Amino acid sequence: MILLVLPFVFALAAFLIPEKLVKYFGLVAALSSLAVALGHLAYFNPEHLVYIFNPNKAFPMGLSFKMGYDGLSLTMVLLVNSIVSIILLANYRKELAENKLFTSLVFFMQAGLLGVFLAQDGMLFYTFWEITLIPIFLILYWFGKQDNNSVLLKFFIYTLLGSLGMLLSFIFLGTSVQSFAYNDLISSGLFIPAKIACWISCGFLLAFAIKIPLFPFHTWQPSTYTTAPMAGTMLLSALMLKMALFGMIKWMIPLTFTGIQDIKWLIITLGSIGIVYGAVIAIKQKDIKTLFAYASISHVGLIAAGIILFTQLSLESAIIQIINHSIVAVGLFFAADIIESRTGKRNIYELGGIAKLAPRFGFWFAAMTFVSVSVPFTAGFIGEFLLIKELFVAHWFVGIIASTTLVLGAVYMLRAYQLSMFGAPKMTQFEDLKWNEILVFALLTVSAIVIGISPQCIMNFVKPSIEHINELMVGGLNFIK
Amino acid sequence: MDALIVIFITGLIGLFVGMMKKPVLSLSISVLGLISAFILMLYYKSYESPFGNYNGLNFTPSGNIFALLVIGLTLLIVLSGFNYFKKDIEHTADYYGLILFSLCGALILIGFTNFFMFFLGLEIMSIPVYVLVGIRKQNTLSSEASIKYFFTGSFATGILLFGIALVYGASGTFDLNEISNSVSIWKEAPAMFHVGVLFILAAFLFKVGAVPFHFWSPDVYQGSTDAVMSYMATVVKIAALYSFVTLFGSVLGASGNIYTGILEIVIIASFFLGYVSALKQSNFKRLLAYSGISNTGFALLSVFTGDFGSLWIFLLGYTASTIALMTVSQAIEKIDSEDIKNWKGIGYKNPFIGVVVLISFLSLAGIPPLTGFFGKFLLLSGNYQNHLTLVILALISSVIGAFLYLRFVINVFAKESHAEKICIGPLHITVLIISTFVSIFGWTIILF
Repeated sequence: MILLVLPFVFALAAFLIPEKLVKYFGLVAALSSLAVALGHLAYFNPEHLVYIFNPNKAFPMGLSFKMGYDGLSLTMVLLVNSIVSIILLANYRKELAENKLFTSLVFFMQAGLLGVFLAQDGMLFYTFWEITLIPIFLILYWFGKQDNNSVLLKFFIYTLLGSLGMLLSFIFLGTSVQSFAYNDLISSGLFIPAKIACWISCGFLLAFAIKIPLFPFHTWQPSTYTTAPMAGTMLLSALMLKMALFGMIKWMIPLTFTGIQDIKWLIITLGSIGIVYGAVIAIKQKDIKTLFAYASISHVGLIAAGIILFTQLSLESAIIQIINHSIVAVGLFFAADIIESRTGKRNIYELGGIAKLAPRFGFWFAAMTFVSVSVPFTAGFIGEFLLIKELFVAHWFVGIIASTTLVLGAVYMLRAYQLSMFGAPKMTQFEDLKWNEILVFALLTVSAIVIGISPQCIMNFVKPSIEHINELMVGGLNFIK
Repeated sequence: MDALIVIFITGLIGLFVGMMKKPVLSLSISVLGLISAFILMLYYKSYESPFGNYNGLNFTPSGNIFALLVIGLTLLIVLSGFNYFKKDIEHTADYYGLILFSLCGALILIGFTNFFMFFLGLEIMSIPVYVLVGIRKQNTLSSEASIKYFFTGSFATGILLFGIALVYGASGTFDLNEISNSVSIWKEAPAMFHVGVLFILAAFLFKVGAVPFHFWSPDVYQGSTDAVMSYMATVVKIAALYSFVTLFGSVLGASGNIYTGILEIVIIASFFLGYVSALKQSNFKRLLAYSGISNTGFALLSVFTGDFGSLWIFLLGYTASTIALMTVSQAIEKIDSEDIKNWKGIGYKNPFIGVVVLISFLSLAGIPPLTGFFGKFLLLSGNYQNHLTLVILALISSVIGAFLYLRFVINVFAKESHAEKICIGPLHITVLIISTFVSIFGWTIILF
């Protein structure tokens, strides 16, 4: 339980810390919550589901308040805690780091995210899903660009509309069995006729497609990313959209398995469109943050299309790719923010020659670029390769479309890197990286390479829980037959 | 029953004490009376009439929790209105007296078991409110509101009486149990009964302020003072809704489904008309009035299920937010809180007010884990099986509502503005803390 409560406590404690110490407090607190998560990891056996909160009591309305983790959830928990630490480290030298309110909101956000990944109860999942909206909304509003009200409202209303679709689905599933506990929901989902199950999964899809974002629902994303403060963008892209991908794996597909076949190709199509569309638009972008935002759409389209196949290998590689995307998103938006805060420009045609002025930045940005275009020996290579392979098995044409991401990704990333870093310097000076910035880049790059060299450690870690979900469903389906 | 008597006597004593022109004394007497009534209600466990055979008034267990809610809300309203009431030294005691008398009517409306007591309760509740609305005689808006409310309200009462007479004519009794007995015996209800029920329905829709009988509410809310407005938007609405669900959820609703169709249309219209009209308002009270119309639409969903539990949780969330917002509006009244432009930046300069406004509006918008969400969730999950269209439309309309509320919150938290630091009185702070606490943790009551 302390795993979940700790960030809440930090969020409140941040107000009591003197202003000068807030940034140290932020780092120490984030690291200690990471340490708690690692402690859970040390005693964890991937075969088991560990409950951190399990009241064996019947509550009204079928609420069960169960919380716990299996290998899949614990991976996401570790991801959240480490990325939050890295975000605070990246933010360390900024004015924001000394702001109590900001630090508090980040921990509030962390608590909400952990709740989403730990929930073993439908209502709890939905509640934490919505809770995360509040801190991110306030972070974007208070610390983002001025005059971003319309962008913010669009973001909030869009995501709220989506999550209401999910609420409708949860109400349907929950009232039919009088319980919102995960296991009960899965077993009830199997008895739903395919046609109704299809509608229910559409309700989930609305929420997840907007959050991921899948192709026609992505319009909130670029404008939100560009007006948000750096830490807000990182939280959004590296963690918040992972809620939706995780939700697809853990909630949407198992709960509505009988109906998912009907919308499977819809999602694969939307995902493939997103892959090409995001990449093509990214190639034509001048604004470096918008470019990375569209690149993100391209990457997550592939993950979503892979998840919906729901094979053992596609899910494992999707997890790898989820982690990789978090690393890439934090690294790229950090680089974009370094460029913006030191030159005041985001247009890549007005930049140039930075590599000469700041060789260390040049090196680490290049490293992040290579991680992003998924060269071999990085996590992205494994993830994308396996996902494309699985898509190819499903249908050769989709595989071909999806594999364009490798080429197009290299085009837009290398173009962005080349135009901004090489050529004649267009500015007189560019302050080189500080220790905390180097540390952030180094941590990200090293972890990408470690995962790229031995992806097995993560794949084996999540394998039992994916098998368990499969068992629940296949066992149930056999039982019905 | 004891609670009713205590409140009535407190009101009388309050009026006499009012001659001494000591506002604090009047306030303490009313607060004392309300607290003792609350405690009496809490221990009212017999659910039997003390008058032997006469059982015109009887609080069922569900009526009991509603009665507790209205007494508690009145207590908060009296506390939050004190600063305003004491300025009007000539009428200080009148405010307390009238509010308490009206509360008696509300309690009767929650405990009635026959149409006679029902009518009595409705009138006892409404007439003091007509006076309260018009108590600022110098103010034209107030006079207009009072006259408008009085005329339309009396008209609705007339229609209601006509309806009751027709129902009496069809069934031969005023007693609810006997009416529902006759309804169950009839193979087909007589036309007279149907017409009577339709008239009653119309009068009720007027009282709760649902579309198409909602036109009075923005004008009347605007014309009355903040405390009176919060009284109307909470206590009066709760009492009317409770009796609505009592009558139509069990007794009259069982007689046929023509009301279901009418109610469905009314509810859908309320959802959308309320929120969409609220989008264009520049006056804070009118905004709350229109959003209240939509929330009434939500509350009316419980008529189909006849479930008081979900209605109670929903009204708890709605009223806690309304009280908190109206108290904030009173606390900042020196900057003319009626115009929503003046709210700009208040939350940034005064973080406490900002947090209260944020939580209240998020609760109204139905963001979990606040009380407002659980109210809506219970209402919607109850209607999921039989009225799926309504549930989907309710969700769509609540997105409009969320937009409305969020836009307001953004305005309140605006960074650059000329807002100043505002000092809030201790009474207001108490009310704000209590209502915000209820907004956040009120739903946990369903766990027990």
